[in-house]
Amino acid sequence: MPTTKTTFFSALSGLLALLFITGCSSSAQVQVQAQFPTVVSEPKPVNAAIVFTDEFKTYIAKPTKNITIDLGAAQTSLLSNAFSGLFNEIEFVSSADQVSLANALVIIPSVQEVQVSTPSETYLNVYEVWIKYNLDIQSASGEAIDSWFMPAYGKTPDSFMLSKSNAIQDAAIIALRDAGAKLLLDFYRIPSVYNWLVQSQKQEAQQ
Amino acid sequence: MKIVTIGTALLLTFLLSGCGATTTIDEYRPTTKIMELNSEESVVILGRRDAGHYDTDREFISCVTNKMEGADIQVLPEQQFVDSIYPWFEPRTAPKGLKRLKRLMKDQAIKNQVKRQKIRYLVWLDGSTQTHDKGGSISCAIGPGGGGCFGFAQWEKSSAYEAIVWDLTDLTEKGRLRVDSTGTSYMVGVVAPIPLLTPVKNDACNSLGTQLKQFFSVENNQE
Repeated sequence: MPTTKTTFFSALSGLLALLFITGCSSSAQVQVQAQFPTVVSEPKPVNAAIVFTDEFKTYIAKPTKNITIDLGAAQTSLLSNAFSGLFNEIEFVSSADQVSLANALVIIPSVQEVQVSTPSETYLNVYEVWIKYNLDIQSASGEAIDSWFMPAYGKTPDSFMLSKSNAIQDAAIIALRDAGAKLLLDFYRIPSVYNWLVQSQKQEAQQ
Repeated sequence: MKIVTIGTALLLTFLLSGCGATTTIDEYRPTTKIMELNSEESVVILGRRDAGHYDTDREFISCVTNKMEGADIQVLPEQQFVDSIYPWFEPRTAPKGLKRLKRLMKDQAIKNQVKRQKIRYLVWLDGSTQTHDKGGSISCAIGPGGGGCFGFAQWEKSSAYEAIVWDLTDLTEKGRLRVDSTGTSYMVGVVAPIPLLTPVKNDACNSLGTQLKQFFSVENNQE
């Protein structure tokens, strides 16, 4: 009987220890899956070709050695939606040499860096995600117009009852939504893009 | 025996009176004109999320929303509204003042979305609940003969929320409400831990919701 009792307590202790260790596990593999709302925006009469490279479409961020965030599909979906709210005529291609639209702006988005902060690092009750995008903007002839740095930020309202993976996913979705907002708000405010637009309108008027 | 009974009664009175929150509401309305809201129109309650150190929590917003819905006021869910008008009410882009709202509503696409959903009023909620002044200590132990807790801990919570009501028809501010609620909670460890919690946030929500409801129910009463 004592042997049975000891075995039972050993099994219980083992289970408890396993539960605690799993609970404290600091690694997270996050697959960002989200449906983003359609943007409410009146597109300008501008042609654009968006180059989503294979690297961008399948991008997996590794902000720390224990965290990976699969952003590729979600960021492609979000940015496709956001760019559609900016341009009247738009095409999505995999490389710059596939562009077929005449007089189009060629935009090549890429991710520069992804950063994550967790409550255990910051002692704040939130998870935060920063995504730093870069947009290489060129004319159809390949002439560089600008290289625009576009940071995006997202955080969870709190970390209560959230698993690390879910919290990072929530923060990443908010960061992606922020990227869409930043793009729609500021794209036509980039001085070089504004100047290109004015010049191309002048050229069209002259022809 | 009598002393023990009196002592227990006094202790209970002390503890129970300690569990009540003190709530203050300030109301400001530029005019005494009633706020019209017909049965087809709805209200949206949105939380401010642009501050760095806090977010107006969704739990508080749904609590106020439930209070409003209880009074037959149609409330559009926050996320549904934010999605329907994406990206113009994201933390980065949401209008902080009427000037920006007026500029936003000049955009025909945005205006159409508001019209389509028949949104008449927008209520901004901004604030948070914080815990401070923690004191005392409580410790629990378990052994082969049993377990138990001993000690006393207390903490104070304070909620401060502000509601601002915007009319989306004439793009004006219709009123402001501010609620401040504070209270102390206790945890007494006498073998078992006994929590005596003060529902500070709930009190703030009830007070704000009830007051806010009156903003809109005036017209309903007159109909």
